[in-house]
Amino acid sequence: MTDEIIAPAASRHDSGLQARAVIVGVAGWIVPGLGHALLKMWGRALACFLMVGLLVLVGAGMRGNLFTSSGNDAFDSLGYIADMGAGSFYFLARSLEKSGADVSHATGDYGTRFLATAGVLNLLAALHAYEVARGRKA
Amino acid sequence: MSNGFEFKLSHFQSMLLFALVISVAFGFLSRRGPLDRVKYIVWSLFLFLLIGVGIGWAMYPFSR
Repeated sequence: MTDEIIAPAASRHDSGLQARAVIVGVAGWIVPGLGHALLKMWGRALACFLMVGLLVLVGAGMRGNLFTSSGNDAFDSLGYIADMGAGSFYFLARSLEKSGADVSHATGDYGTRFLATAGVLNLLAALHAYEVARGRKA
Repeated sequence: MSNGFEFKLSHFQSMLLFALVISVAFGFLSRRGPLDRVKYIVWSLFLFLLIGVGIGWAMYPFSR
């Protein structure tokens, strides 16, 4: 009898926790560090924001290639997924690169890696925030 | 054509910046206390540079 009463309450609590975790994860993806900020993990939030931001600024400054959704092959698509991992910072990088990418030199090639790394790092941080919100990590 | 926001880094500067940024991010994400974080960041940065330079030296005989 007691179990029957507790079970729906626990289920509601779990689904509430899950919904909150998804919101935290998505927020962390859209704005780097926001997921951790919502969890009041200020150090991690600031570190994510600054590190992803720095990678995007340097990558765009080095005129790295920002992939678009209209890629020709699997590598372009993977590059697009990695770049989009930076969330809103993808559009910041696009606005900074007014004259487009220049990968004819090693600098531009490094810039491409910096931009992709920014995206993947932000996805990792968003996933971390999601797991923390679910209570799986500290 | 320059867009005003453009700069060039050498190979080593790029590697150093990359290693530093990733080490700091991993340090903050994976450790909690300040001392633990600093230890992790320094160790990770050292390994990044050591392995990066090591791979560079290992590839040197095949570079020409």
